[in-house]
Amino acid sequence: MARLGMLIDLSACVGCAACAVACKMENQVPAGANRLWIREREVGVFPDLTVEFRPEQCNHCENPPCVPVCPTGASYQTQDGLVQVDYNKCIACGACIAACPYDARYIDKKGGYADKCTFCSHRVAKGQQPACVETCPTYARIFGDLDDPNSEISKTLEAAGRQDVLRPDMGTRPKVIYLNAPSKKGLTQEVMES
Amino acid sequence: MTEFYGLPNTGEFWHWTNALHFVLVGLAGGMAFLAAILTLRQHPERKRYWWLAGILIALDLFVLWAESPARWRFSHIWLFFSFEPGAPIWWGAWGLSAAMAAVALLLLKQWVRLLERIPEGVLGVVLLLGSLVALAYPGFALAVNTTRPLWNSMMLAIFPITALLMVLAIAILLGSTWAKRWEVWAAALSLGLLLAYPFTLQEAAREHLFREGLVGYALAGLLIAVAALLFRNPRWAAALGLAGAVGLRWLLVMVGQFQSPGL
Repeated sequence: MARLGMLIDLSACVGCAACAVACKMENQVPAGANRLWIREREVGVFPDLTVEFRPEQCNHCENPPCVPVCPTGASYQTQDGLVQVDYNKCIACGACIAACPYDARYIDKKGGYADKCTFCSHRVAKGQQPACVETCPTYARIFGDLDDPNSEISKTLEAAGRQDVLRPDMGTRPKVIYLNAPSKKGLTQEVMES
Repeated sequence: MTEFYGLPNTGEFWHWTNALHFVLVGLAGGMAFLAAILTLRQHPERKRYWWLAGILIALDLFVLWAESPARWRFSHIWLFFSFEPGAPIWWGAWGLSAAMAAVALLLLKQWVRLLERIPEGVLGVVLLLGSLVALAYPGFALAVNTTRPLWNSMMLAIFPITALLMVLAIAILLGSTWAKRWEVWAAALSLGLLLAYPFTLQEAAREHLFREGLVGYALAGLLIAVAALLFRNPRWAAALGLAGAVGLRWLLVMVGQFQSPGL
């Protein structure tokens, strides 16, 4: 079985937000909720200064905290390692939202269920790329099988030096992996947080 | 400076209806616990507490159903068709259901001959087990969220103890004299937990608690402290203790949704 993941090269991301728009359109995300957003930060102090555009979304964690707290089994992991929601089983209790360290989930009030990024599983099932990947004009995103050594994502990760994930302290083992975060450019955590 | 295109879903995900549930489930579980103890001890007041427990459980379950955006999809049935022992809410659903079933049988058995053979003690034990789960589950439902620093393991003690404070206060207000000394103990324990809690928090979480809820927290503490000290006027002590416990539970649910900015 595949272990699907996504790589985002922050040195290529220009913050155009085409991915966020594509996601919203493709998945008919309701107003006031987002499956994907761009965090724009000035990091560092002159002359060691840069702007980071960081797309964020569900990390489809290896150890997803949102899954075990779901009282009906509506939140589950597929054999491909994706974290999905069975809308028919969801009671919209919000337990998964409370558990998510990434603020990736929201309640679709009209549908009455919790929702989030699915890695566009409906597209992936047809052999297509997720909408955010297909739309990115700078090819900052690569989607694929992390277990396949011949996949583009695995090759890129192998060639890369430092890899970052969000909130590694949570032990969730995210499968959205960032390359070339500003910290790699010699900016220390201390300077980044100043 | 941080800006966004699109926003992370950082808003409040549990609203006043959910805070109300966290109060009601304390009342329901606590009252079921009192009813179970009185049943097992064959206390003459037990029938009144069966009614109270049944009404409070029914009210809590109704609020849960009514506030859910999924109420007309009837997906709540999956709470009982799935096996999710890692989910505190799953345990809560079964705890409340078991307590409700036991209370219903205890009440019905007075009038339905077919049920007369069921020993009251057996139903009392089922009620006790269900009530213990219902008392414990809210604290677990919050404490499992390690990403929310205000909902630390202190929730496991604060929620059951304040639930007992609430129902013992109601028992006093209803004229049950046996509840007086237990209510003082519950108030004293709640006060101890309330005083200790800020010291168990990380600095950022403590700052958030005091920035968003200092007045409410101090007021709840004051009410519970007075309740613990008012030995000579138990009805006033009960009313103040009840108000303090309700306020504390409400505040912890609402303010605790804060997530530390670790991104």
